[in-house]
Amino acid sequence: MIWIDGVLVSRGEGGVYGERMLRGQRVWDPFRSKLGALYYKGPVTELTSDMKVLYLGAAHGTTVSHVADYVEIVYAVEIAPRPMQDLIEVARRRENVVPIMADASQPEVYAPLVEEVDFVYQDVAHPEQVAIAVRNCVFLKPEGILILMLKTRSVDVRRDPKEILRETETDLSGAGLGIISNTWLEPYHHDHAAIICRKGKVR
Amino acid sequence: MMQSYWFGDIVDGSCRPFRGDALAVATHIRDIRTDLKSYLPPDWRTAVDCGVCSNREDYIRRIREVCILLAERRIEEEYRGKDIALIQMVRTLDEIDNVINLLTGRVVDWYQVTQPSFSRKYRRTPSRTIVRTVHRKSPGSLSRIASDIGRLSDTRIALAREVSDTANDIMPNCSALIGGLVAARLMYHAGGISSLARLPGSSIQVLGARTAIFSHLRGNTPPPKHGIIFQHRRVHNAPAEIRGKVARVLAAKLAIAAKLDWYRGEPVPEFLEEAQTRIDTVGNVE
Repeated sequence: MIWIDGVLVSRGEGGVYGERMLRGQRVWDPFRSKLGALYYKGPVTELTSDMKVLYLGAAHGTTVSHVADYVEIVYAVEIAPRPMQDLIEVARRRENVVPIMADASQPEVYAPLVEEVDFVYQDVAHPEQVAIAVRNCVFLKPEGILILMLKTRSVDVRRDPKEILRETETDLSGAGLGIISNTWLEPYHHDHAAIICRKGKVR
Repeated sequence: MMQSYWFGDIVDGSCRPFRGDALAVATHIRDIRTDLKSYLPPDWRTAVDCGVCSNREDYIRRIREVCILLAERRIEEEYRGKDIALIQMVRTLDEIDNVINLLTGRVVDWYQVTQPSFSRKYRRTPSRTIVRTVHRKSPGSLSRIASDIGRLSDTRIALAREVSDTANDIMPNCSALIGGLVAARLMYHAGGISSLARLPGSSIQVLGARTAIFSHLRGNTPPPKHGIIFQHRRVHNAPAEIRGKVARVLAAKLAIAAKLDWYRGEPVPEFLEEAQTRIDTVGNVE
């Protein structure tokens, strides 16, 4: 990852969403992007230029555009039509973004399109986040990394976020994913936790 | 065993490429049914061996073209629903109301400092009349803003009629029970006619009472009796003791009406008659 004086940036064409530029590079704001926040919180698997990424819940393509600056290709899945209009615009300008308008909980719909990837990033506000992650593991190479952004408020507002995190980790392990670590995204995003897992056992 | 990909089918290691332009491929992808149990992700090298593309860049260029086209077509399909425009109309209507109220408050405040003897106390002057007075009696910008508010109010009336007519047309059963305007608002809060049709009556009853329902779920307040359906006269005119009851029965009937609207799309007189009677008799001791 590229840091300039403690500021996370990415190298690419600017002006995607009015982001600030720092010495010609695009500032990746941790308050706007959960993945950005995760990199601020501590060392996480770095994005590298040979990586293939499956991005679930791509929304307007702001975080997608930063990820695309780092990696070889991003398959960006989003279901809602309005954000998709923006995502398509991002994909037109960035030759390594493939926009897929589909429901992340039905990977069979986009299975004919998505290659085997090194990294699955999931940021969907859905109560069944674990099931979605597990189903999309068919695209992940053995030992590949999956990062799940757990929005505890989408699972159940009535329950304690910590308890939801524990339960989610148990479910993920039960489905054969090895939990590497978890991180709360305070102070950037409230009640959001990032769970980092590996397909297959953790060595 | 066969694997079907966007660029062709792989049967026992040999490839049957799919020929055609991006549009043909996009249509073809929708027909593919994949079984995830035996699924293997596509490999760009297979596509090259297949003769569909020449290298990795070419593979990505082609798949992007297909996916962008596919997404554009799906967006078009999504927007074809009649409720999409109605949602925008309802939201605009509610926003205009907001703007009118804010501006009116501001203008009256301004007017008051130009007229030391002006007071609204003890006279029930409707705000439209005051705005007209401000327009007549004030100079410059203040007068212009007042007349703009008047024009905005006329637009609001026209838009409200349009919303109501559209709702009567595309959701006739709900509109018959609760009126076009309120029916349209319910639909907007549910996210569309199809979403409304999938909601249970208990959810319809509290649509629009988000703060109250979440505060209740967190556990220290009583549940809300009604959300948007409070705007219907039969709910807000009902005596306080039976208001919750009226709301519940009305919501239950609306849940049925929404399903009729979505799946049949035409008014069902037998249902409407029975529902109206049922709602009207709430609170009668039998």
